[in-house]
Amino acid sequence: MPKVSMTVNGKPVTGNIEERTLLVQFLRENLRLTGTHVGCDTSQCGACVVHVNGIAMKSCTLLALQMEGASITTIEGIAPSPTELHPMQEAFRENHGLQCGYCTPGMIMSALDIVRRKGHDLDEHTIREELDGNICRCTGYHNIVKAVAAGARAMAK
Amino acid sequence: MAMTMTGEVQLPAAKETVWAMLNDANVLKACIPGCEELDKLSDTEFKAVAVSKIGPVKARFKGNVHLTDLDPPNGYKISGEGDGGVAGFAKGGATVSLADKDGGTLLTYNVEAQIGGKLAQLGQRLVNGAAKKMADDFFANFAKAVSGG
Amino acid sequence: MTATGIGAAVRRKEDIRFITGKGQYTDDVVRPGETRAVFVRSPHAHAKIKRIDTAEAARMPGVVAILTGADLANDKIGNLICGWMIHSKDGSPMKMAPHPAIASGKVNHVGDAVAVVIAETRAQGRDAADKVKVDYEELPAVADPAKAQAKDAPQIHADIPNNTIYQWSLGDEKAVGDAFRGAKHVTRLDIVNNRLVPNAIEPRAALAEYDAGTDNLTLWNTSQNPHVARLVISAFVGIAPEHKLRVIAPDVGGGFGSKIFIYPEEVVCLWAARKTGRPVKWTAERSEAFLTDAHGRDHVTHAEMAFDGDGKILALRAKTIANLGAYMSTFSSSIPTYLYATLLSGQYGIPQIYCEVDAVYTNTVPVDAYRGAGRPEATFVVERLVEVGAREMGLDPADLRKRNFIKQFPHQTPVIMAYDAGDYNASLKKAMELADVKGFGKRKRDSARHGKLRGLGYSTYIEACGIAPSQAVGSLGAGVGLWESAEVRVNPTGSVEVLTGSHAHGQGHETTFAQLVSERLGIPFENISVLHGDTDKVQFGMGTYGSRSGAVGMSAIAQALDKVIAKAKKVAAFMMEASEGDIEFKDGKFTVAGTDKSAAWDDVALNAYIAHKFTGAELEPGLKETSFYDPTNFTFPAGCHICEVEVDSETGRTEIVNWTAVDDFGTVINPMIVEGQVHGGIAQGVGQALLEGAVYDKDGQLVSGSFMDYSMPRAHDLPSFKLGLTETKSPSNPLGIKGCGEAGAIAAPAAVINAITDAIGTEQISMPATAQTVWSALQRANAARQAAE
Ligand code: FES
Ligand code: FES
Repeated sequence: MPKVSMTVNGKPVTGNIEERTLLVQFLRENLRLTGTHVGCDTSQCGACVVHVNGIAMKSCTLLALQMEGASITTIEGIAPSPTELHPMQEAFRENHGLQCGYCTPGMIMSALDIVRRKGHDLDEHTIREELDGNICRCTGYHNIVKAVAAGARAMAK
Repeated sequence: MAMTMTGEVQLPAAKETVWAMLNDANVLKACIPGCEELDKLSDTEFKAVAVSKIGPVKARFKGNVHLTDLDPPNGYKISGEGDGGVAGFAKGGATVSLADKDGGTLLTYNVEAQIGGKLAQLGQRLVNGAAKKMADDFFANFAKAVSGG
Repeated sequence: MTATGIGAAVRRKEDIRFITGKGQYTDDVVRPGETRAVFVRSPHAHAKIKRIDTAEAARMPGVVAILTGADLANDKIGNLICGWMIHSKDGSPMKMAPHPAIASGKVNHVGDAVAVVIAETRAQGRDAADKVKVDYEELPAVADPAKAQAKDAPQIHADIPNNTIYQWSLGDEKAVGDAFRGAKHVTRLDIVNNRLVPNAIEPRAALAEYDAGTDNLTLWNTSQNPHVARLVISAFVGIAPEHKLRVIAPDVGGGFGSKIFIYPEEVVCLWAARKTGRPVKWTAERSEAFLTDAHGRDHVTHAEMAFDGDGKILALRAKTIANLGAYMSTFSSSIPTYLYATLLSGQYGIPQIYCEVDAVYTNTVPVDAYRGAGRPEATFVVERLVEVGAREMGLDPADLRKRNFIKQFPHQTPVIMAYDAGDYNASLKKAMELADVKGFGKRKRDSARHGKLRGLGYSTYIEACGIAPSQAVGSLGAGVGLWESAEVRVNPTGSVEVLTGSHAHGQGHETTFAQLVSERLGIPFENISVLHGDTDKVQFGMGTYGSRSGAVGMSAIAQALDKVIAKAKKVAAFMMEASEGDIEFKDGKFTVAGTDKSAAWDDVALNAYIAHKFTGAELEPGLKETSFYDPTNFTFPAGCHICEVEVDSETGRTEIVNWTAVDDFGTVINPMIVEGQVHGGIAQGVGQALLEGAVYDKDGQLVSGSFMDYSMPRAHDLPSFKLGLTETKSPSNPLGIKGCGEAGAIAAPAAVINAITDAIGTEQISMPATAQTVWSALQRANAARQAAE
């Protein structure tokens, strides 16, 4: 089985994997980073979003082997320390932007990418359009939209 | 999921030539897109393996092809069913008729097909397009074969 | 109100693990030596299984076992069951066909399992599953409930003619007929309540492990009610006796009803784990979930409402065909009957109601409860009839509603339910203010200037929640009681564990239940933990669905807390050498009336365990109490939702521009969480109205079977919502809670369709009202108008 090496949440990792192994499988099964979820098999739901070299991508749509040398960040890797939360995480909690929590890691990773691309001052329309790739079945998005706006503002501080 | 498709192609050869080629397993095999095997079991029966990809579903179909309503050299009905394993199934048939036209042959086809399982579940929006492309490719290949290309 | 007590918008305890990626969902659990189950499923809607050849598959790398329906039968594994008996109007019992966990002899829907491969990895399992050869002989199929009873329809199950499970009725047919004959105006509608796929974002999963040393089986699964799962799997399916089976439902990523039921896959994992001696895990792929999760709704209804000359409703009559799919799922029979027809009175005083329901088998995935379950279908019937009736009679829809609202409580409807409290005028009035109905005319003119059609639609819904008094549901055919259990364990240090039979899969029970305890015991919120979802830890409970966890689950906790406080008072009396009757308990402190003696909560807790101040003969040591709470009635949350839309007449595209919801949920424990529940419910209701539809073609193929084709609301399909509350407490439970989980999904579809039809000026529209549907309706209406001119 071929070997792949990459950096995940700042730590170098390697693995011998079947060619068809998806990045999300590699993260969940080989590295036991189960915060990244799988909600569909057609690249629609966004539960699997991680950052690849700083850019949000759906890890269900990437082969792990493609990630040779890449730097991956997952939901487990965004907090500044084990006892602190990232401002975007904090904003989701503060604004009740989650219920069952299953879509949440993907939502937060996508939200961070929106901030990277669109800045810290996000209006409702922009957030709603930009969340197109993430489905939440629980919240009706109302509080997610609020959370993303608040998180974006908090990140500017 | 049922679909239908009709079309015609003008071929630069005599009806008898076209008819013979329509019954030649080697010619058919070369022309059917994705065809990996086409073995003649009898004059009217073939065993076939073909790979096709419709949207997100790629499958290797195994099945039998039958020729019925033979009316040499004017046409036949070709029908078959393929089992694509976990991808589902496809089956259908085409009535093919040949007529003399402009010194060559006009081939008219009338396809009726049905798909099921994952193919229908995931691929239905794409299946008409895919089937059309497959038919186009087949007849383009066939026209080439007929003109000795 | 304290900062963490009842009524406070406390931030959720459970969030920390979810926002950091540390939730533990079923698929996250890994057991040593775990194998993966991959099912071979029928691509045909209806077919005989002529032969299954597993020889080649069995030789594939990594294959541990391949099992079929024949093996299941050999091992005498029982069928799945539907636990609610419905009798037809002729008195005959419903006809339940056998539902084996793996089909044998015949498949009845696309996705029906024919074999399972147990393999070392999922990829190996898939490769092998692809090599299992199944010879089918295809049979004609029927997917449309309206065609299932036709003479030429294929019969799906032996001995069940016309695919008819039951022909049930409720109400007085003759009295209704008389009322219609005396009516001034009759409104008639043909309604299709579209078939939906619940689609919790976490796909269903199951992991089973067998311990040969103890002969114990453990099942981790995505369940809303692990105890009921254990009961059914042991008592009916016969996998293991109840005390040898532990069911753990860890974090569950949404349910909406679809995770209530007992499914074939968990049965197969348990059976295979014992057979192979290896843990067996199955996680649905989304396309598999579409073919196996119970779907919702799927009614075809003709409904009529009779009015007198003053717009008073005289009677309602409905005839519904309900599609239950290929097999009867766990609670399927009750949904289109006792959860549907019993709500046809809506918020109105309707003297006579008659409803007939035929439940039918079709070659489709089983249909069962989905958020609202029966009540959205009823609300849609009633609220469309009232709205259309008002338009036909030239009356204002809000006025017509007010004229007919029930104003006196208790109110006995003609369809079983006795409403105990409510103020329907109050929620309508408040919603109309919040929605600025007064300014609608101006907004409509503004829209018209931009070429848009603006419409406004009401839905004044009611639901029966807090499911349910056991005796009442027992008399209606339920096979179980619907009480709830709680155990309150006070530790020697005074911290508290609450073990609840409710189950949370997004509702935030760890927070709201702790709020109740914090309020009642006056102890810090952090010192309370809530445990659920593990049959080894928690006493038998009934789980979470039907908006019951607040009204029933929390009432059980309240009752157990009462017992704990009573016992603690005894302990305190011994400690302070006072008589028990003089002990008062408030804000976490025990005092002796008329003295300055007091004992802190923690001290009393400790004394209950060290037992130094009393003998065993005087008082048992310890501080732990259990309660099983059975409600005295359903609860009746109600409210008013107002939807305002803009329709683009060129494209038919509908945009929801305003949404106002004013609900009466009785006591609210945590307004933040309640609002979240309303938001989510509205989103699913809007999904039903505008986007969602499980579409079967005539051969029984599900052609909207992925997130590409089954369209659920995304963030840009919805507006932000304006919410308000009114409050009348429920008299049927000690906390006055009514429940909030389903209201949005129940209210929303009618509000949306009433708004669209108001905008486009024709009632002929079906759900989902996609751009194409609306555009076609506009074209038809225009053509009809031109023809008339
Ligand atoms: S798992 Fe759904 S988009 Fe990746
Ligand atoms: S919180 Fe459950 S899917 Fe978003």
